[in-house]
Amino acid sequence: MGGLIEFEQVNKTLGQTRILDNFSFSIEENKIFCIIGPSGCGKTTILQMLAGLEQPDRGLLKGLTGKRVSYVFQEPRLLPWKTVAGNLDFILRDELPPAKKDKLIDHYLKIMGLDGYRNSYPKALSGGMKQRLAICRAFAYPHDILLLDEPFKSLDTPMRLGLVRHVIKLWQTAPRTIVFVTHDIIEALLLGHRIMVLAARPTEILEIIDLDMPHDQRHMGEELLGSLYTKLLDLLDKENKKYFPEL
Amino acid sequence: MKNSSWLIKTLVQFTGLVLFFALWQVLSGFYNHVIIPSPMEVVRSIIGQASSGELCEHGRQSIVRGLTGFGFALSIGTPLGLLIGLNPVAASLFRPVVVVFQVTPLISWLLLAMIWIGFSRVPVFIVFVTTLPLIVINVFQGVHSIDRQLLQMASVFKINKDRIIREIYLPQVAPYLMAGIANALGTTWKAVAMSEFLSVQTGIGASMAVARINLETADLFAWTITLIVLGMLTDRLLAYLTRRKLSHWM
Repeated sequence: MGGLIEFEQVNKTLGQTRILDNFSFSIEENKIFCIIGPSGCGKTTILQMLAGLEQPDRGLLKGLTGKRVSYVFQEPRLLPWKTVAGNLDFILRDELPPAKKDKLIDHYLKIMGLDGYRNSYPKALSGGMKQRLAICRAFAYPHDILLLDEPFKSLDTPMRLGLVRHVIKLWQTAPRTIVFVTHDIIEALLLGHRIMVLAARPTEILEIIDLDMPHDQRHMGEELLGSLYTKLLDLLDKENKKYFPEL
Repeated sequence: MKNSSWLIKTLVQFTGLVLFFALWQVLSGFYNHVIIPSPMEVVRSIIGQASSGELCEHGRQSIVRGLTGFGFALSIGTPLGLLIGLNPVAASLFRPVVVVFQVTPLISWLLLAMIWIGFSRVPVFIVFVTTLPLIVINVFQGVHSIDRQLLQMASVFKINKDRIIREIYLPQVAPYLMAGIANALGTTWKAVAMSEFLSVQTGIGASMAVARINLETADLFAWTITLIVLGMLTDRLLAYLTRRKLSHWM
């Protein structure tokens, strides 16, 4: 407990676009860190750096050595030629002994309501089911850091709220660092120990909110969450000027 | 519903064939049988070739030559296509060679092969050089069609290089390879007949040369039909295999 993952003066340009400019912040280990902000504010780039898929042009990333990362991408990114179970087997085969691996696959397929589809191919699944399989995959893969990039984007509200509870449960059974990127204020308020609000072009931190309230007490009717919701909504509303200057 | 539409489709196709043969029959009435033999004469020719053992013997020769050349092209072209797709240095090294192979006229290959390796092996060589680029280019395109996002996923989950090739690249390339094989086999039977015609004494192409000299036009038609059937059979077989092996995820 108490370790930090730190971005120090990080610069990143992708193509012609300067994404991050002397950007610094830190993530507390074994807590849930939410990033909320408009499209194009560099949220995905931050996750890709945490996963080692992108390197900073300048600046430092600290606290990642020896950490194992699991990732839910915006898209499901499933192998179309492997079955539902085969897609999980693909990432677990080198990690776990066969018996343990099969048990884990069963366990997560059941949790996500996919156990009736273990021999189906992704082609036969709905968009929501594909995304749930991608979530299964990330949960099942052994990790210290779990990265989620707008994981519930394509899902309906009951499904989203259910999956938020599953993330909380996963964290409660074994605390780990979770970095959760979303557009959705409610998801951030239900999950985050810390919520970072970003503005786009140039990417800057508008606000960092610490929320110590235990997850079990977080209901949207709660007064604190209600007032935070309004505050975040106001902050993000001001950002609309960047889309519609004449408003 | 589905059954009846299938029936209608078959009926229409059958009608097309009947019309074709009727037209052929009518045309053959206007011309000497050396110019256009009638369908019945051609059928008699096929039966004659089959019962004398010619069909079997020459057909076998051509099939063996074709499949040998194609087999070499497949077993060299597949790894070569993968290499060119995966390795930029190999791409710079081999791609121009493949393009040269592809655009070199068939007649040059034929004449050079006669000088280099002797007449008897010309058909195998010709099939090899004409089908090799088809295989290489298809495999190469398959590798290039790879989904970068899947590779990124595999790298996050620390999948090793060997498994990435076997479990991501190869399945991705498979439908492209199948298309390349279908294309190459279609070319194989044409190339084998053409080169037999010009270089050897046996095989379908050589038999066609004999038929031409003897003005046995019905025989010429019969051999042509054999080649068409050969092409259609391999095409159907490949379509069936592709459906069996790949359709569950494609």
